[in-house]
Amino acid sequence: MKMTLFATCAVLALGLAACGGGEPAKPSEPVAPAAEVTPVPEATPAAASDTPADVPAFMKTRHENYEALGKNMKVLMDNMKSATPDMAAVTAAAAEVKKTADVMGTWFPAGTGPETGIKTGAKANIWTDRATFDAAAVRLQTEATALAAVTDAAGFKAQFPKTGAACKNCHDTFREEEKDH
Amino acid sequence: MTVDQTQASPAPAAQSAQQKVWDAPTRLVHWLFVFCVAFSWWSVENKQMEWHVWSGLTLLGLLVFRIYWGFAGPETARFTQFVKGPGAVAGYLGKLLKPNYRAAFGHNPLGALSVVAILLALITQVTLGLFATDTDYVTPGPLNHLVDGDTADDLTDLHEDFFNILLALIGLHIAAIVFYLVAKRTNLIGPMFTGKRGAENVEGPASGIAPVPLWRFLIGVVLAVGVVFLVTR
Repeated sequence: MKMTLFATCAVLALGLAACGGGEPAKPSEPVAPAAEVTPVPEATPAAASDTPADVPAFMKTRHENYEALGKNMKVLMDNMKSATPDMAAVTAAAAEVKKTADVMGTWFPAGTGPETGIKTGAKANIWTDRATFDAAAVRLQTEATALAAVTDAAGFKAQFPKTGAACKNCHDTFREEEKDH
Repeated sequence: MTVDQTQASPAPAAQSAQQKVWDAPTRLVHWLFVFCVAFSWWSVENKQMEWHVWSGLTLLGLLVFRIYWGFAGPETARFTQFVKGPGAVAGYLGKLLKPNYRAAFGHNPLGALSVVAILLALITQVTLGLFATDTDYVTPGPLNHLVDGDTADDLTDLHEDFFNILLALIGLHIAAIVFYLVAKRTNLIGPMFTGKRGAENVEGPASGIAPVPLWRFLIGVVLAVGVVFLVTR
């Protein structure tokens, strides 16, 4: 029995791994140098109650916005690791993060959640526990605003972890972990 | 006193003797591998990324030590003692299914493949983890800053996928242990705790492995800590 179970697990695991390895190569995008700012795509602002006209396009843009946010966070983290952060790059990336944080609360109008059947990391509790979600968005906006206002390396190194913690605060509750790719 | 007096059978003293097969560092490293892999899994599933990173760094140190110990440790820990070619593996398979089978001294040639595969898988997994990141860049791997964002994303995906390979190898390892326990009546688990086993019908010197001087162990510890220090610096 145990042997069968192990054998099954092993075969399944190998099968899953094989699937991961068989993905076609993504179309190549120009890779921005670390210091270059990745502009955040403009969001389609919408009130929490208004479902956008083109839901799939809206959700796709939302996803791309998070990808861009991630790239800016990467620039910030790389500088966080440096003894002498490139403050020009930090300021530029921080401005983009703030720009994103300012509008993130509008990115989740009704009808753009997992109920659409479209692949999304947005969990349904964004809409059922809106007050908590909005508070998390405000917290990010506060921390990102403070981050965009830093002028020196010490200030940056003190404020960046707080900004990351605001991201994590929301992710822990409202973001679905990716289980497959 | 080398005779095991707790043994009830009236076998001659020479046959109830204990053979030392695994030294303390090798056993400790083995069980810390078990703990850290399980803890790494638990911590990432529960979003304890700080713990996950430290668990991975502990594994890195353990791997550095185990590789060093594969050259500097006692006989059964050394790669040259147990890593054999396909001929030896085939020969072992032939012996394994015969009634006059004698347990190998340390790793058998087939088990050695599993040891090498698991060590390589752990090295791969830990290395990928060094460059990986969590989605919010709160606790990225300590070498994440050396790669660009797209590469880091790819390595993070690989880090997640490759865990399945590691799990499969661990499953195979446990299945083999169950096989020896059930089909060959050989308990491989006890010796991994005590370091010793009954010396009846086994290969190798009756007394088992020779002691290793403490300074050789200490060099390994310094190497392990040194590599982790350099990576986290």
